[in-house]
Amino acid sequence: MLPDHAAIYDAAREAASQIACRPIKEGQRLVTSGLIDSLSVLKLISLLEKKLSVSIPPETLQPEDFDDVDLIVETIERVAEPAS
Amino acid sequence: MITRDEFRRELRERLLASDEKILLRVVVHPDFDQPKEFTGKALVARAEQLARSYGISKGRAVVLLLLPHSPELVLLQLGLVLKGHIPAVLAWPTSRVDAEKYQRNLVHQLSHLPADQLITLPRLAENLAGSVRCQVTGIHLENSATFESAFPAGPLSQQSEQRQAEAGSSGPLSDDTLFLQFSGGTTGAQKAIAVGAEMLSQQLRRLGEALEFTADDVVASWLPLYHDMGLIACYWMPLWHGASSIQIAANDWVINPELLLKYVSRCRASFCWLPNFAFSYLSQRREFMRSSFELDSVRAWINCSEPVRRKSINAFSNTFADWGVEPKSVQASYAMAETVFAITQSQLGKQISAIPRACVKQSSQAYGHLAFDLIDDVYVSSGKPISGTEVRIVGADGSICPNATAGEIHVRAPFLFSGYWGSGGFQTNSLVDGWHATGDYGFLANGDLYVIGRFKDIVIVGGNNIFPEDVEAVVNSIEGVYPGRVVVFGVEDTDYGTQSLAVVAEVKDEFSEEKAVQAEAAIRKLVLAAIGVSPRHVAVVPARWIVKSTAGKISRRETRQRFLQERTAVSLEGGCGLAT
Repeated sequence: MLPDHAAIYDAAREAASQIACRPIKEGQRLVTSGLIDSLSVLKLISLLEKKLSVSIPPETLQPEDFDDVDLIVETIERVAEPAS
Repeated sequence: MITRDEFRRELRERLLASDEKILLRVVVHPDFDQPKEFTGKALVARAEQLARSYGISKGRAVVLLLLPHSPELVLLQLGLVLKGHIPAVLAWPTSRVDAEKYQRNLVHQLSHLPADQLITLPRLAENLAGSVRCQVTGIHLENSATFESAFPAGPLSQQSEQRQAEAGSSGPLSDDTLFLQFSGGTTGAQKAIAVGAEMLSQQLRRLGEALEFTADDVVASWLPLYHDMGLIACYWMPLWHGASSIQIAANDWVINPELLLKYVSRCRASFCWLPNFAFSYLSQRREFMRSSFELDSVRAWINCSEPVRRKSINAFSNTFADWGVEPKSVQASYAMAETVFAITQSQLGKQISAIPRACVKQSSQAYGHLAFDLIDDVYVSSGKPISGTEVRIVGADGSICPNATAGEIHVRAPFLFSGYWGSGGFQTNSLVDGWHATGDYGFLANGDLYVIGRFKDIVIVGGNNIFPEDVEAVVNSIEGVYPGRVVVFGVEDTDYGTQSLAVVAEVKDEFSEEKAVQAEAAIRKLVLAAIGVSPRHVAVVPARWIVKSTAGKISRRETRQRFLQERTAVSLEGGCGLAT
């Protein structure tokens, strides 16, 4: 089972802040603002997978799916699977 | 000597000889499991048809290709060569760019390139048509809509460039020119190398011999065609030798690196060229990969385009040992667009050599100004010069350096370029006595070349060369930034074994936290739009923060040192990035 919405939101915000090296506010753009570069998006995905014990299949994803905290949450809820 | 017409005829015959064999697989988003496949015969037919449909009718034209990764891009590059045109592939922007800013910057870039035609997606073609002098042609791709959605329809609001390079000035290019490749990757002031038939055939033959490359080989690649490694090693090498290649989009690979391993495994690939960072990147992703892959078919994983780091190649061979990667399959090469591609190549089937830093001498104190860190304790060989190629190391006083003594790398080869093509047409004064001074710093030891870094301040981000001056010019134009008080440099990314881009900019008026935040956001957005790379570090600082030399000139090296020192001090206090 996936963690609940609040847990995913907290993890997403924490992971985004960690990768961007600064506290991330609600709605703050990460990728389209140039705050996170393309190599760091995969670091963000890996960090989220660890924090939430989930697997995020990257096949259908684009960096823009991680552009702010709400989008990250939405993406995880859409594609993530519990880690086996 | 092979002439351009002879080369084209022979290429066509070689491709048609592989009438039933699949020579090209193009993996396209979103259906990664169903690549578009082309036999030799289909490849020629489709490439020629595309060139006929979209290429300019003029006999020999310089045609710029600005298209996302697609079968059409790959085939047009070939088709235009077969038709006798001179194609040049431009970098397609990341979908994250600000469309208006990107298009303006593109018009600026195009004004410096004396091309006859630009082929791009229909909407971009319509938007740009009134702003560039060359003929602009739109081509519809299967997934055009996805890529075009980033560009709202509408012409650019004003003619932004007064200066326009003369269209149709391909005349000065040598008669045997087949295509152009850019030396600087994605950057603003583009300089192109004219690749001639003799140069290309010499490179492909000699590199083929060094690799014992045959028609049975299979190359798997995520490298874009605007990069020499993607264009020459991963596309033209297999084409010329009748071997197969698999082409994956760089954007898809970055978020899904196992895609490459999947195709290596599925198609039993035998060669894979990668910049150094990719070895670390793939290794770090291993624990999250959901399938296992058979990688034992690969004869060589060739590390190229960035200084080779032992940490990266060891991590790769250790991490993927259980999937069949042997340490001796990890190889290295030193290459550049100026020599079409490879200058050196390590020996296949043999583990690459390394030499401790302590064993290497500096040829002169004059090299103390080098703007890069010497971060390695051990240097890894890039192999020996391939046949017909000469490499020498030159000291600051112009003398030739002895064994294991570092200086500037100079090269001479039968496939060496004769000049750059750009805003001034074709410049033929780039060589001295047939030698090209590469701007790279390294040494020879027992015949092997070791590359340490760059003399020039070029920043190499994931294998792409970024010229700091280009980024500085972009940042100088930002409201609130003090023009001329901007410094750009590279910072080592030890996680991935590459460099990241750093920008330090002084504010124009009195410094405030609010102004700094606004300027930082503007810098990140504009650099991404103009250069296609996000700066990892942006420091907006008060006036007179940037360090000048005693002569009053801005010192990139000293400013970089100050940045690194202050950033470290802040990190120790628990912060990240530079407090301003």
